[in-house]
Amino acid sequence: MFKTYKIKRYLDLVVIALVFIATPVLAAEISFDTKINSVAVGQQFQVSVVLNTNGEEINAVEGKIIFPSDLLKLKEIRDANSIVSFWVDKPKLESDGQIAFSGIIPGGYQGQRGLLLTLIFVSRKEGQGTIELQNAKTLLNDGNGTEAVLSITPYQFTISQAVSASSTPLVVSPIIDKEPPESFVPEIGQNSTISGGKWFLVFATQDKGLGVDHYEVKETRQRIFGVFAKWVTAESPYPYVLQDQELRSYIFVKAVDKAGNVRIEEISPQNPLSWYENYENWLIIILGLAILYAIKKLLWRRYLKK
Amino acid sequence: MKKISIFIHQFFLLFFLFPVVVLASSTNGTIDAVYKYAWSEKAGWINFGCANCNVHITDSGLTGYAWSENYGWINLNPTNSGVKNNSEGTLSGYAWGENLGWINFSGVSIDSNGNFSGIATGDNTSQISFNCANCQVKTDWRPQSARTTTTPTPTVSVGGGGSYIAPQTAVSFSGRAYPGSKVTLLKDAQIAASVLADPNAAFSISLSGLSSGDFLFSLYSEDSSGRRSSLIIYPINVTSGATVSMTGIFIAPTIAIDKSEVKKGENVAIFGQSVPQADITIAVNSDEEFYNKVLADANGAYLYNFDTSQLDMGQHYTKSKAAKDGAISSFSKAVSFLVSTKTVLAQPPTKCPSKADLNSDCRVNLVDFSIAAYWYKRAVSADFKKLEAEKLNGDGKVNLIDFSIMAFYWTG
Repeated sequence: MFKTYKIKRYLDLVVIALVFIATPVLAAEISFDTKINSVAVGQQFQVSVVLNTNGEEINAVEGKIIFPSDLLKLKEIRDANSIVSFWVDKPKLESDGQIAFSGIIPGGYQGQRGLLLTLIFVSRKEGQGTIELQNAKTLLNDGNGTEAVLSITPYQFTISQAVSASSTPLVVSPIIDKEPPESFVPEIGQNSTISGGKWFLVFATQDKGLGVDHYEVKETRQRIFGVFAKWVTAESPYPYVLQDQELRSYIFVKAVDKAGNVRIEEISPQNPLSWYENYENWLIIILGLAILYAIKKLLWRRYLKK
Repeated sequence: MKKISIFIHQFFLLFFLFPVVVLASSTNGTIDAVYKYAWSEKAGWINFGCANCNVHITDSGLTGYAWSENYGWINLNPTNSGVKNNSEGTLSGYAWGENLGWINFSGVSIDSNGNFSGIATGDNTSQISFNCANCQVKTDWRPQSARTTTTPTPTVSVGGGGSYIAPQTAVSFSGRAYPGSKVTLLKDAQIAASVLADPNAAFSISLSGLSSGDFLFSLYSEDSSGRRSSLIIYPINVTSGATVSMTGIFIAPTIAIDKSEVKKGENVAIFGQSVPQADITIAVNSDEEFYNKVLADANGAYLYNFDTSQLDMGQHYTKSKAAKDGAISSFSKAVSFLVSTKTVLAQPPTKCPSKADLNSDCRVNLVDFSIAAYWYKRAVSADFKKLEAEKLNGDGKVNLIDFSIMAFYWTG
């Protein structure tokens, strides 16, 4: 009985030792999460890039996703519902078969399934390939930017012959996005190191459906006639140097998501125009006087007729 | 016809939204990858999170095995017994160790942060401690009362005309901070709301008008001296038309010290603020970790004079946590001090973050991020080089490390 226990215990120890040797201790892990690893030519499939912090608190992440562009065509990059709050490098196709990204998670993230981004591919031709991550880093939320131990699990796939014309092609189901991007508060800032200390605007928001497509900014000193002012495309999170450095304008920031839904936020002027400086007020006064004059004229004619 | 339509709509809402939806890991928890060891004088380290342990914590009890380096496997759910849970984290019942016999888990509990505490007693093991100096066992299971729940927002219908108020998509957070303190809620790292805690340190804060999707909410508070707690992060999936409620939040105490360098043998004052009349545990690290207890006063303030004669020369860290009415906070930020041959007073506490505040407005937010982003992958100017040396990591360029420092000091 004792002998059996001893053998069992040694076996357990060997198993445990093997498991510990095979697995890096306390390594955060970035992996590619997908339901399939075999598709046919012409089919679409979705790959989510997921962070498992393995008990660590991670607040910054970067890397370069490499995929075989002869086998796969990148259809779309989605960053909606990402744990990354602000992108330093918004994920984009940098060159053929390479997607670079970097961003931060203020306060840090600790969890097993933190979504970084989602990629949608279309398979081009038969073959076998791997999607992998290079130059990846995850940094600890320790105030020093210490690099965490990171393990990466590449994704291997097989593309088989095209399905017959009569069968339904596999397509990643589209997301129905009817909600605008989240509300946000644009802020005005100033720093001697940016454009010689000029006032600038910063803004950022998230869209939980398909993600934010772009931002536009409008500055206008007139509230009513501002509708005719032009929207200018702007990029987040970079400072947008304001045209009106006297800060006398209404500022509107428009966030447009990939489905075309729009959220507009407004900042009132910090140094508003005096009433007599705003030509809108003079126009209203002149219009009012003109109406009074017209009424007077009308009444005068009627009076004269009688 | 319109009335029937409203009735069907409400019927649907009642049936599909009323069942309480709970996050999976908080109801079926596993053991933390780091904090997994308990200690027994006789059996040595007992690992609850080993490769083959497969420990699961549910509202009814524990399953799986713990591993004792000296005595082998301990079955947490043996036939005819097992470790039970009353769904609020109070454990009872017996585990079976193949070489240890029965182990009684009465006296062990799991707090709202998933930390095990207390002592299990065995026939042969003497005692297994879950709260000794270097041992800690932690799970992502949470007591029912401290759990993230999703409940429907009440809908209101008005008779006659048959009007209908659409359910709100919202989140709410409640718990304890510091008496009269400002509690700030960030939504995806931007300030979304703030509220003042009452004199008993209780607060409640909510946010509506959200889209459905995954959010990272975070909370922090500032004590009466302007010291900030660390951010507590809540990744939450919000469902359309439902309100997610987080209750039982216990913000960690603030902490400060009166000396940055202290002559060995002199006292260092460790102080801060928490909940009124809370039991404060102050940990000071050394080769041996020291734990000291002090009671917070009616304003939640605490002060402990720590005798440094028991510490070695060199750098040391201290942190604190609070306990009240069975709830325990997580540990505060750690602050460091040096034990040496002279005494240097610490800088008085300041409301401004010590790093990453590039525009010196005492906040670290999107404006600072934007300034750093401007210089990312560019040759930095002489002006910015000075700023980078003072507020970031001082390597003369902007890279991910600088953004990580910023993310750590983030205030929104």
